[in-house]
Amino acid sequence: MMVLLTLLNRIFVGPFYARNAGTFLVIVLLAFGFLSANEHRALIMAALGSPFFLAIVFVLWGLYLLKTVSFVWQELHAPEHLFLQTFWLVPTPKRVILWLTVQSALLFPVLLYGGWMLEIATQQGRWDSFWAILIFLLLLISAGALMADFRLRHPNPDTLQLPPISLKLPYELFFPIYWLRHEPLSLVLTKAFSGLLLAGVCRLYPTDDYDQRLLLIGLLIAILGHAQVGGQVSAFERKYLLFLPNLPLSWGQRLGRYALTYGLLWLPELLILLRNCPEAIQSDYVVWLWLTGWGWLLLMHSLAYGYAVLPERWLSGIIAAFVIGLLLIMFGLPVSIWLVLGWLGAVAVWYWSFGKRNGTELNVPH
Amino acid sequence: MLSISNLTKAYNGVTALSVPELQLLPGIHYFQGGNGSGKTTFFRTVAGLLPFSGTVLLENQYEINRDPVAYQMRVNYAEAEPVYPTFLTAQDLTSFVGKAKQSPARQVDTLAELLGVDTFWTKPTGQFSSGMLKKLSLLLALLGTPRLVLLDEPLSTLDIATAARLFDYIGKLRTEQAVSFLLTSHQDVCLTGLDITGTWQVSQGIITPVL
Repeated sequence: MMVLLTLLNRIFVGPFYARNAGTFLVIVLLAFGFLSANEHRALIMAALGSPFFLAIVFVLWGLYLLKTVSFVWQELHAPEHLFLQTFWLVPTPKRVILWLTVQSALLFPVLLYGGWMLEIATQQGRWDSFWAILIFLLLLISAGALMADFRLRHPNPDTLQLPPISLKLPYELFFPIYWLRHEPLSLVLTKAFSGLLLAGVCRLYPTDDYDQRLLLIGLLIAILGHAQVGGQVSAFERKYLLFLPNLPLSWGQRLGRYALTYGLLWLPELLILLRNCPEAIQSDYVVWLWLTGWGWLLLMHSLAYGYAVLPERWLSGIIAAFVIGLLLIMFGLPVSIWLVLGWLGAVAVWYWSFGKRNGTELNVPH
Repeated sequence: MLSISNLTKAYNGVTALSVPELQLLPGIHYFQGGNGSGKTTFFRTVAGLLPFSGTVLLENQYEINRDPVAYQMRVNYAEAEPVYPTFLTAQDLTSFVGKAKQSPARQVDTLAELLGVDTFWTKPTGQFSSGMLKKLSLLLALLGTPRLVLLDEPLSTLDIATAARLFDYIGKLRTEQAVSFLLTSHQDVCLTGLDITGTWQVSQGIITPVL
């Protein structure tokens, strides 16, 4: 039993947290950077006293469950994990216990926060909310375990069926379409977070005596919300486009193609910024803001691509980038400097990694 | 044709391949060896897919690290077990690789017909059998005007009729355009009917000539 559990943890739990390190960081920064423990207690108290507010919390937890289930399904479907089909042969009670344990580990952040809410509910004597939270948490674990087991018993599902495309797909669309078809939840969560955040800061701007630094802070967090994308692109190409390094493309041509890909991925944010541009801000400023974000996305790509960066190191880098970025914004570093730093940094790091040494070290990790 | 010196490839500090000196004459070279002996690592290294230390020089002119673009324009590679994004078609991949390798006009059509890829041209690779994937990887490896083509296990999963056409085409490329080939195979390489220039044994990451 322990051998199986160790194996499942190594396949599902560790990689899940490693792959979503960037998303977790952003959530932690948002949830605990801007709110103190007392403010969290106040929020929890409000949720305990309001069924509507509690329902919103449940919806957020439900979305997180979908993210974990999507990951488990994706890993079960991966060719390198086909051997896991033999897990089906493990007796059902034992298999269910294993899935429940794995799902509990995947839901750990939710369970931790839910546990805190339960503690406060006990202290406050809010037994109706207490039982609602407890039952919902148990339902989350059970639903996750059942869905994982369902996929194990029904392998080789059809992937998201989009209409067949008869046009020739250019390389720049390879990753965006892969992301949409094979990791749709990751795409939706990343873009929803980024889009809502930018729309939010734009709407917040006229409500008080804010200046352009607010928009820059929003941009910084939206970009950090994309922190995992470089690793996803790298993993996608390492797995499915092994021949890429063998193509006679210069470092500049390669970077140019990635720039186009990231431009496409970042395009929705331009529309959101233009649509929600505060009256006090000129629309060309939000275009500069968007161009800055594009450059910084490319810089993160240059830093992440082709390297087997340890998740904790990447996480430390993101945290450091957030703190330094925030300080520089607060000290008034203008968007033009951010723009130049992002684009120059992207080109310099890419050249240093893949142009200066040679053209052979793409797809390095093995 | 290919000169290799002081080549070392290590994974996590463990040496997987060590080639102090290797000179390959123009022609067709066969690399044999057991599973895990280092054949694929050698091919991927020469194809420029893996970082390594040492030098690899093509036709005494193009060094893999110094002139990567010129080198990769002339060296193609077909992997043993190809995998592609499941939503892409042979048309998508061929178009991209063909453009990068500056494939001559009509070459794609000729090769697609030769290998039978034209029959599943617009089908997503997710619906391919292993043999169809193999045919596509061979097509991609023959695009452009390579001087050296590395074929890792070209016989595996390929049907007999296609294999015969493929080796006939390889023979023609060798005699008419002086293209060189490196092959690995666990099957009997005599089945290819090719005139083998040299045979090499790969064992524990060491390459030695078979006399």
